[in-house]
Amino acid sequence: MAELKYIEGYPENMYKLIDKVHATRQKRKDYTPEPMSREEQEEVLNLHPDYAPGGKRKISIGQNKGDIAPDPVVNLLEAYPLVEEEEIDISSADYSVDILIIGGGLAGTTAAIWANNEGISKDKILLVNKLRHGDANSIMAEGGTQAADREVDSLKRHYIDTMGGGHFTNKPEVLRGLVEDAPFIMHWLHELGAIIDKEENGNFVEKWGGGTSIRRLHSCKDYTGLEELRVIRDEFRSKEIGCIEHYPAIEFLTDGENRVTGAVLYNLETGEYKIVEATATILATGGFGRLHIRGFPTTNHYGATADGIVLAYRAGAKLRDTDTVQYHPTGAAYPIQIVGYLLTEKLRSSGAQPVNIDGEAFVFPLEPRDVEASAIIRECYVRDKGITTPTGLRGVWLDTPLIDEKYGKGYIEKAFPGMNRMFSRYDIDMTKNPVLVFPTLHYQNGGVETDPHGHTTIDGLWVAGEVSGGVHGKNRLMGNSTLDTMVFGRRSGISTAEYVKSGAKQGKLTLEHQKRYVEMLKEAGIKPERRSPILLPEYRGKESLARMIDIF
Amino acid sequence: MPNKEETSSDKKLDSKEIMDRIAEASRQVVSGVEDEEVENWVTIYIMGRAYEVPADLTILTAMEYAGYKFVRGVGCRQGFCGACSTVYRKKGEYKLQTGMACQTRVEDEMYLVQIPFVPAEKPSYDLTEHEYDVNVLFEYYPELARCVSCNTCTKACPQDLEVMDYVQAAIKGDFKGLAEESFDCIQCGLCAIRCPSEIVQYNIAQLGRRLYGRYDSPEPEHLKKRLEEIEEGKFDKEMKEITKLSREELERMYAERKREED
Amino acid sequence: MKVSYYPGCTLKTKARNFETSALAVAEKLGIELIELSRWNCCGTVFSLTDDDLIHHVAPIRNLIRVQEMNKNGLVENDHRLVTLCSMCYNTLKRANIRVKEKPDDLKKINDFMYLEEDYKGNVEVIHFLELIKDIGFEKIKENVTNPFKGLKIAPYYGCMLLRPKEVGIDDPEEPVIQEELIFALGAEVIDNPYKKVCCGSYQTIRDKQVVSNLAYDILTHAQNAGAEAISLSCPLCAFNLDSRQKEIKEKHSDFTRIPVFYFTQLMAIGFGLNEDYYGFDLNYVNPEPLLKEKNLIGRNNAK
Repeated sequence: MAELKYIEGYPENMYKLIDKVHATRQKRKDYTPEPMSREEQEEVLNLHPDYAPGGKRKISIGQNKGDIAPDPVVNLLEAYPLVEEEEIDISSADYSVDILIIGGGLAGTTAAIWANNEGISKDKILLVNKLRHGDANSIMAEGGTQAADREVDSLKRHYIDTMGGGHFTNKPEVLRGLVEDAPFIMHWLHELGAIIDKEENGNFVEKWGGGTSIRRLHSCKDYTGLEELRVIRDEFRSKEIGCIEHYPAIEFLTDGENRVTGAVLYNLETGEYKIVEATATILATGGFGRLHIRGFPTTNHYGATADGIVLAYRAGAKLRDTDTVQYHPTGAAYPIQIVGYLLTEKLRSSGAQPVNIDGEAFVFPLEPRDVEASAIIRECYVRDKGITTPTGLRGVWLDTPLIDEKYGKGYIEKAFPGMNRMFSRYDIDMTKNPVLVFPTLHYQNGGVETDPHGHTTIDGLWVAGEVSGGVHGKNRLMGNSTLDTMVFGRRSGISTAEYVKSGAKQGKLTLEHQKRYVEMLKEAGIKPERRSPILLPEYRGKESLARMIDIF
Repeated sequence: MPNKEETSSDKKLDSKEIMDRIAEASRQVVSGVEDEEVENWVTIYIMGRAYEVPADLTILTAMEYAGYKFVRGVGCRQGFCGACSTVYRKKGEYKLQTGMACQTRVEDEMYLVQIPFVPAEKPSYDLTEHEYDVNVLFEYYPELARCVSCNTCTKACPQDLEVMDYVQAAIKGDFKGLAEESFDCIQCGLCAIRCPSEIVQYNIAQLGRRLYGRYDSPEPEHLKKRLEEIEEGKFDKEMKEITKLSREELERMYAERKREED
Repeated sequence: MKVSYYPGCTLKTKARNFETSALAVAEKLGIELIELSRWNCCGTVFSLTDDDLIHHVAPIRNLIRVQEMNKNGLVENDHRLVTLCSMCYNTLKRANIRVKEKPDDLKKINDFMYLEEDYKGNVEVIHFLELIKDIGFEKIKENVTNPFKGLKIAPYYGCMLLRPKEVGIDDPEEPVIQEELIFALGAEVIDNPYKKVCCGSYQTIRDKQVVSNLAYDILTHAQNAGAEAISLSCPLCAFNLDSRQKEIKEKHSDFTRIPVFYFTQLMAIGFGLNEDYYGFDLNYVNPEPLLKEKNLIGRNNAK
């Protein structure tokens, strides 16, 4: 087989197809396809991985019995614990704290700071991380954070946009909390010294997000999550709040009734376990992208393995909206090394158009994410107008050079340094040529049900961020997830502090809930071949795995 | 025009079949490449030991292919978190190179080791207690003055930042220069590991950026105004009402939204 | 005339008044001081250790920037680099001499900085006072609209402008360059036998007392000779002679505070430039009462 010839980072045959994109650019420059009607949206959504048949089933045990969830999620819920009571000693605690926070992304870190602000001593808060503090989906958020802080905008409008994006399934009181606190979060970020894009006149730069009716998106170039997390983590470290890394929680401890009282931690390096007792616990473990639902690549970080919902469900917390998964419309589809990586929606809100093999703009670029993703799938697999890569993936062009056409040469480099850097590592110049995109697994829309303060249906347990369910309903809008983490991180931090200050006492440490859960598994006839949480995904080579001997 | 015909009557392909085709196309990325699919191989040396790996992989995925299960030295896998700092040298070359394992393609005869942790000082400070002044940087990081402008930090930076320039900007009290030059920093720590003056560049930049963000330009007026309105309870009534609306009413409001002019 | 200009860190922080006044004065004289587009620390202080090349990397990197300024057309075929701070002047100039004298060292340094173009050894480091001398003190006189009319000023040199001999801007034992400038401004020059005595330099960080003792000697000798003000060109000397008057006063209650000026501040006053360029807010001993008394400021503000 002849060596592939590469031109400007693309194999020759793909590169030739770009001519059509160049040729049609001027014509498309001032043309945008109309947004779809409700009917059109509903039709194309049939091609969404959530609505296509297969890939999911009913949960057969527990408080959400009968609800639908993706197969890999149900598999983890219908799985046995990593350790059971007879294997470990839970009679005394290694750490005794007021507030245990599991997960150190934006939500968990924000919660810790606000619990401390509300008077809980830094030594009585413990943040535990599966990876390093901050190695989280939060740090990878690119596009921005929504907050209705312009005079022409309103909280109500933010509410309606989000409600519609979520197909009217969002939990109203929780959503209200999200939009009401959003301007305060922008204020807090400013106080912490986050560098948020500003206009010359000192106002925030506010961009479009898919599904919104007004410009409301605040960004820090295309490193929004990085900047937010950096300043918040720096504040956390300055406060010297307790923090341990590579030490995930693998099971909650409860008082045997309906209250979480601590957790079992596991040292990923030594294999040792530790027992934490906590008056209140905040679960902020993020989502499940690394489960590769429906076989999709993902934008998520290495640790996004649904640990949070597994632990909470076993402890008796109610889940909701488990049936939907967010696929980001524009993951990278070429080159192979970056397939599935996020190409921020802000590219589209800054003028980049999805374009098919014939150089046609085939979809309004800022539909809600599920609609946009479905339209790209349709273009590739129904209308057969996608572009095929050497490894057999299909995708459509995202015509990034249009951004510089719109805002002037040099804008991409300034506003999208992260994207530009990522492609330039593979010799692709996104200011000159389009990039290839296809939907990628992005976000866990549903999760653990909460009240507006992050409190779950069981005592002593709060949740914040992606692990929670309700605020986004069945589809999250761009810019609402970083917002969610900080709003409900803060609310849960404050709420747990109040709970502690109101005199709540440490409950006893048991694994009774786990015993009951194992009973249920057995009754349902589930074989003990699966265990959860899985903590880390498996990417080791098949050949080497096949020859592995487990000695130590 | 055959294209038109095809577009107008979207073939009712079985959507499950489509999902299966997408999954099959993505298999290499999701569950790893099959050896028989690999056309090009390279040899890499992980801490000195040779492994044959597919040439299309990154250092991170190549190490996984070779059988390494990462606990440390991996995070976001997409170049944002700075967890997978890697140092390598290619056979026959004197240059010591650096990169993020998740962002660097393997090359033949690459000798590599990961630096999963960087010991670094990060003092505690409270921004509200400080003036917007270069002295703050020297107060917490007096070693800043030890920079000899050797530029080794810049050579080490996997983000290709001008690290030395931002350190020098810090020394001059040029907060804007410091903030702009260091903004894309992912705090991987490779600069600090290589610095002969033992400066922790990325932590200094963090403090400098926070001072810049907080003090260089005031909070926007429109935000202050909105916060006042919320404080006064201006929206309480309408927000309370909106949470009580029926789905039909919400759908109507959603459909009637007027999109802001571009 | 456009000349490359190296400010140094202190001129961007504690000694902004030195830079502000210097830039304004230069403009008045028709000189455009073009700041190097990227510059780093000068390398303070010049390392005397024979094999310690790494400390010469910083100054030489700055000299490469002068080559770039020429290449990019920011200055026109002018390889001079003007400095203001005496310490920067001294470090840059000595490093320049060293690599010119030792080509092997230059090669090593160039090899080490492989991302930069090679330094070719053709830059000339000069002090702003030298540039003024080249222009001629007659030209200074012509620009004086607000003559000092007999204000008694004692020049102070310290070490870095004069020593070692090969980098001195003037005779190391009998310097006159500041004297000529002060004279041209219409002030009375006071000769201070302590004008070449070390100010105590960086000892100021470790031992304030050592420095305030030295400063006491330098200042009181000037005062005994009749000086009402001091002129100098080094931010560190300025700090020691100006700020440390606080410690002097604590020890010697009969000491009378004396204003300390950068020579460029004196020029700005003499040229009648806008008072915004004086930057007295950064002087420790407020010179305004003296200047008012002599009717040198507070009149109708000139251009």
